Parts: sequence; C-alpha cells; structure tokens
Amino acid sequence: MDNLNHLLTGFGDVLTPLNLALALLGVTVGTGVGVLPGIGPAMTVALLLPITYGMHPTQAMILFAGIFYGGMYGGSTTSILLNTPGESSSVVTAIEGNKMAKAGRAAQALATSAIGSFIAGTIGTMLIVLVMPQVVKFAISLGAPEYFAIILVAFTGVTAVLGSSRLRGFAALLVGLTISIVGIDFVTGQQRLTMGIPQLADGIDVVVVAVGIFAVGEALWVAAHLRHKAAEVIPVGQPWMGRSDWRRSWKPWLRGTVLGFPFGAIPAGGAEIPTVLSYMTEKKLSKHPEEFGKGAIEGVAGPEAANNASAAGTLVPMLALGLPTNATAAIMLAALQGYGIEPGPLLLTKEPRLVWALIASLFIGNTLLLVLNLPLAPAWAKLLQIPRPYLYAGILFFASMGAYAVNAQPFDLFLLLALGLLGFAMRRFGLPVLPLIVGVILGRLAERTGRQSLQLSGGDLSGLLGGPVSWVAYGVVVLVLVWPLLAKALVRTRRSEAAA
Amino acid sequence: MTDHRPSVMTGVRDRAQFGLCTALGLLGVFVLVDASRIGAASSSNDPIGPRPVPILLGVLLVVVAVLYAVDVARGGRGEEEAGEDVDLSTRADWKTIVMLAAAFVLNALLIQPLGWVISGSVLFWGSAFALGNRHHLRGLAIGIALSLATFYAFAIGLGVNLPAGILQGIL
Amino acid sequence: MTVLVGFVPNPFGEAALTAGVAEARRREEPLLVVNMSRDDVLADAHRAGEGELARVRRDLDELGLTSEVRRIEEGNDPSEVLLEVAGEVDASVIVIGLRHRSPVGKLLLGSSAQRILLDAACPVLAVKPA
Repeated sequence: MDNLNHLLTGFGDVLTPLNLALALLGVTVGTGVGVLPGIGPAMTVALLLPITYGMHPTQAMILFAGIFYGGMYGGSTTSILLNTPGESSSVVTAIEGNKMAKAGRAAQALATSAIGSFIAGTIGTMLIVLVMPQVVKFAISLGAPEYFAIILVAFTGVTAVLGSSRLRGFAALLVGLTISIVGIDFVTGQQRLTMGIPQLADGIDVVVVAVGIFAVGEALWVAAHLRHKAAEVIPVGQPWMGRSDWRRSWKPWLRGTVLGFPFGAIPAGGAEIPTVLSYMTEKKLSKHPEEFGKGAIEGVAGPEAANNASAAGTLVPMLALGLPTNATAAIMLAALQGYGIEPGPLLLTKEPRLVWALIASLFIGNTLLLVLNLPLAPAWAKLLQIPRPYLYAGILFFASMGAYAVNAQPFDLFLLLALGLLGFAMRRFGLPVLPLIVGVILGRLAERTGRQSLQLSGGDLSGLLGGPVSWVAYGVVVLVLVWPLLAKALVRTRRSEAAA
Repeated sequence: MTDHRPSVMTGVRDRAQFGLCTALGLLGVFVLVDASRIGAASSSNDPIGPRPVPILLGVLLVVVAVLYAVDVARGGRGEEEAGEDVDLSTRADWKTIVMLAAAFVLNALLIQPLGWVISGSVLFWGSAFALGNRHHLRGLAIGIALSLATFYAFAIGLGVNLPAGILQGIL
Repeated sequence: MTVLVGFVPNPFGEAALTAGVAEARRREEPLLVVNMSRDDVLADAHRAGEGELARVRRDLDELGLTSEVRRIEEGNDPSEVLLEVAGEVDASVIVIGLRHRSPVGKLLLGSSAQRILLDAACPVLAVKPA
C-alpha cells in the first residue's frame, strides 16, 4: 500500500504541464529515432544527455523514459514495413511482420504490435512497482563484498551471454574498465593513465564515452558501408484489427509479457532471447502453424510484447541495484551519475520522488504512445525518406555539440573522435559495445567496493568472499564462465554414446 | 567458445584482426608501465592502494590479446555489425571516413575562436558533403539553421556551454 | 526517337503512363518507361516494386507497343536522371505526372517537374490524374 501511495505521488509529480510536455516530447522523439535508420534509443539518450544538464533530474528522466519506450515502438514499425530491423530485439518481429505487410496486412501487423507493446509495457511497469521495492529491501542490506560480487555477475553476464564471442566481449569489457580508471584515484589522489594531460585528471566523462561509442562510432561505421539503394516502402493505412486478429493476438501478448519481463530483469538477458522464445512458443501453440513464415499475426504479437516487457524488466536492476542490463539503461545510469546522483540500492531511499515520478511517467508515456502511434503510423513512415547525408551529418553535429557542452573544452572533441574511431573498430571486428559501456559505468564502483571489502579484512583476499549472497553470486559467475565447456563436454559424451 | 567454423579453410581470415590484438596487448603493456610508475601509497585505511587494479587490468589485457590472437590464428572471426543502413558486401569507404574525421577536427579547432554557430555549420556541411550530398547550398542552409537553432535553444535557453565566438554580441 | 515516361507507383505515375501510351501510338515511336529510385535514402516512396514494374511490362506488351521498362538506382535527383536518359535516347517527348504544390512547398523542396520543364531540350507533356 505504501508503494501505491508513492506511485500516486509520482503521478502527481508527472502530471504538471511541463512534465507532460516532456513525456510527450520523449515518446515522439523516441518513436522518430526508432523509425530512423541507424539511430536507436541508446544513441538518442546519449546525444541528449548533455543538453538535459540544465534540467531537473526528474524531468530528464521523464524525457529519457519516453525515448526508451518510444524507441521500441518505432523499431517495430521499420521491421514491419521494410524488413530491416534496426535493433537485434526486433529481428523476430520482422520475420512475420514483414510477410504480413507484403500480404497487404501492414495495418493489422502495426496494430497488434502497438497494442501488444502497450499491454506488455503497462503490465511490465506494474511488475516494476511490485518487484523493485522488494529487490531494494534485499539489496539495501548488502555490504561491500556482496555488492562487489553482484557487479562481477553483471560483468560476466554482459560479456558471456550477450555476445557471440566471449573473448571479444571480455576484451571490450577490459577496455571499458581501463577507460574507467583514467584520472585521479579517489582514495589516494594518485594520477592513473593520465599521461600528464591535465584534462584527463578528472577522468574521461561517461557522456563523452557514450556519445563517442554509440553516436560517432555508429555514424562512422554506417558511413563506411552506406547502402546505396532504397528499399521499397509498403504503403500503410490506418492501423486497425478485425475481430479474428484480436482473438489471435491477446494470448500471445500475455505470454510474451510473461517471457519478456524476467529476461529483462537479469543481467545480460536482453530482449533477443525472450523474443525468440516467444516466437517459438507461439509457433508451437498456434492453431494456424501453417501460416508461420507467411505472415502469422501471433508471430508479431508475442515477440513485440516480449520485447516491451523485457524493456520494463530492465528497469528493475537499473533502479534497485544500479546495474544496467541494456545499452539505454546504461546511459540513463550515466545520466544519473552526471547529476551527482549515485545509482544503487540507496537510490529509492535517497531519491524516492525521482524514482516514482520516473515509474509514473512510464505509465503515461506508454499510453501516449498508443494514442500517438495508432493514428500516426503512416506519418512516421515518411521519416524514412530523409536523405542519408543529412541524417548522419546531423548525428555527428549533435554528438559534437553534446560532447563539447559537457566541459566546454575542445579537448573533449578530439577525445570524442578517438572514441568514435574505437567504436568503429569494435563494430568492424565484432566486439560488442555493451560490455565496454557497462565497464566504464561500473568500473569505479567495482574498484571502490572491492577496495572497501579488502579494507574490512585488512588486505586479506578472504575479505572479498563476504556472506552467502556473494557465494551465490560467485557461483553464478563460475557457472556462466564454465557453462560452454560443460555443454561441449555433454555434447561430446552424447555423441560418443550415440556412436557406441 | 567463439564463432570459428570448422577449419576447412586453412589459415587466417581477415588478418586485420591481428592489428586489434596488437593494440589490446600494447594497451595492456601501457597500463602496466603506468601502474609501475604509481608510488606505493597503501595505508591501513586502504590496504591495497591504487596499483593492484591497473596491474590486474594490464595483465588481463595482455592475456586476452594473446588468446584473441590464438583464436584468430585458428580461423576465428568477429562478425561485423549489421544494420538497417549498412551494406556489408561493399568494402569500407575510407575516403568518406577521412573526410568526416577532417570535418570533425576542423570543428574542434574552430569552435572556440569562431564560435559554435560557424564551426557547427561547417561541420554539418562538411559531413553531408563527405557522405555524398551534392546540394551544397541546401546543405549549408540546413547547417546554419541547425546551429542557430541549437545555439538559441540550448546555449541561451537551457544554459548549455556553447561558445558564441566572433559572433559574440551579434547573436 | 522515343517517348520517355517518368513513372512513379501512384496515380500521377499511372496518368503519365496512360498519356505516354497515347503519345507513343500517335507518334508511332517506341516507349521507354523509367522508374527512379534514389540511392541516398533508406526508403523511397517513388520506387516501384518488381511486381509493379512487371505489371507495367505486361500491360504494355498486351497493348502491342514496342516498349522498355527500366529502373534506375543511381543518383538522388529524379529530374537530373530523367533529363540524362532523355538525352541518351534522344527523346521526342518527356511525359510526367504533375502534382499540386503550394507556393510554400515549392520554396522548401523545389520541384522536379519544374526542373524538367525548364531544362528539357524536347517538349514535355505534364499530365494530371483524372
């Protein structure tokens, strides 16, 4: 009941004209960038970060939450109309969605994805209200060793589960951690990795890293491999659904929600796994399995719901523990750090109004999205016709502006270019980007909690072991690391059995 | 472990990957050298001091660089990132990258003396040109409009740090 | 000499096509239908799909005309491309569909039709859908 009261206060905070306008702006911008090629919600939030430093943190978070949810909607529009999913999470939507569109059912595909996203987003946000305070209650009792162990779980999670290659994920994480320790050591005041450059003494700003890796790196990568051909747009009318579409959609929506939320909440779950799972489930349960691969509405409804529910799930570890499980959440955490707010278990106690206003704005943003997107889908499709040179020049323009605005020093612009080239190289060689940014954000925290644990034990390594919680955490780390070896061994024994 | 396919193909695909391994290794060595420079400043308050973390990172970087090189030598290859607007069948267009970087550096050099409105316009126009825009006047017009709009909205409206430069007093 | 039609997959394109057919018959010349797809955007609403172009081909064959249907995928300025093709094939007339544009719209975006009208070396037939 207490939480309900807090939530109502949150609604009170959001329902001011200015904050509502920001929520509307957020979902509009979010949908727009979701539709635009090459720009995702993570990049947009990164680009907008420096600009929002003049705002109140609550307002910035309302804006970002709108972009976060809006990007998901916009992404599905492109998957359905063009068969070019921008985010890995909407790959599955494209399979059936684009087939539906080609069969003249674009309107129904868009409608089931929008309504499914709304339902999953709303249920997911309710689950945040229920689950998040419980997680905080558990987390608040954790000491430095336990917290350190949980951060290690996050590190292994993002490197091991997400990328196709653990080695490459691990390399990205190490580079991120290295970036995070540049600057003056917080305890002893010693300079590390600054090469005597005074501008580096304060460390490399997370914003510059995020903008460099996500915006500049992506723009350079796309620029080097620009597609020189236009895709066909499938004309859309007003999204709508017939009675049979509703009948076939509502169960996949709910099942997708159930699958998506927990995967979003665990580190490295991401939206890819639940969307694929949802697709396979719907295919198995469908009364029209023959339609799959030719445009089955269940194959759009389920994965889209799973996608949005997992986005909601992401916010649980982000708000309760300060752990990012996807790129957008990582950058929202960076934003909080930029305001001098320390994300972590104490966030809810220290900044209850911020957290609850953020959650309330998710409910509102989600509703705005449905109202906004059902009638506007044809208008959004027009955005696809912006000439590429202007689009990517615009990204570089905003990236430079944002990076300069952080500290008002041209040095950051050179740093931005260097980081952009790093982001380019990572995309070229297939290094995942998320471990790097997570490393930058959590690196200092990991070092601090690690050093605090050792301080308690007087330098003895046993200090890192802590209590049962960290034992479980280390167990998970070991399991995740050893799993592929185990799986390999299992396959081998099975094979030899089969051979025998 | 990694996505190396059965080694039907003898030898290494995509040799440039060794360059990345070298870079990782060098970064590791640099971190180690830098860590050795740090004075041992541990105290009872902070028993391990500022050195162990960089040392650990440096060692891990070198180890990962070696493992990575082994993986590449055995035919491993990172998957290039695909995207809506990315055509991986073409070779990387280095000319565009160099021109974009040049526009970027120009902006960094000009932003303080000339101000954001001028340097930003140049940046936009230059990047659009690098990316194949041939409507020069339109590109410049959009650039100027964007820089003016951002300057008024963010620098004057929201108090974001953007320099007025030589246009100080006119804007 | 050829009758050149700038084709887009909408009523304006259909009107141009119909007028082009009539023109080709009257002049007893072959018909060249060109669809331009810009190479600098992710999606071009003026790009005609394979199915669409196949249908146009079939219709023209059924009408017994000597005709060719071409899609051009390089370049980003439809008027420029159309004028280039007109020069190449020595077009006797260019047929285009004409859209209504408000004065403000014209100021902002320019008009492909206007450039063709002004720069073409041959007569231009601009039609509006019925």
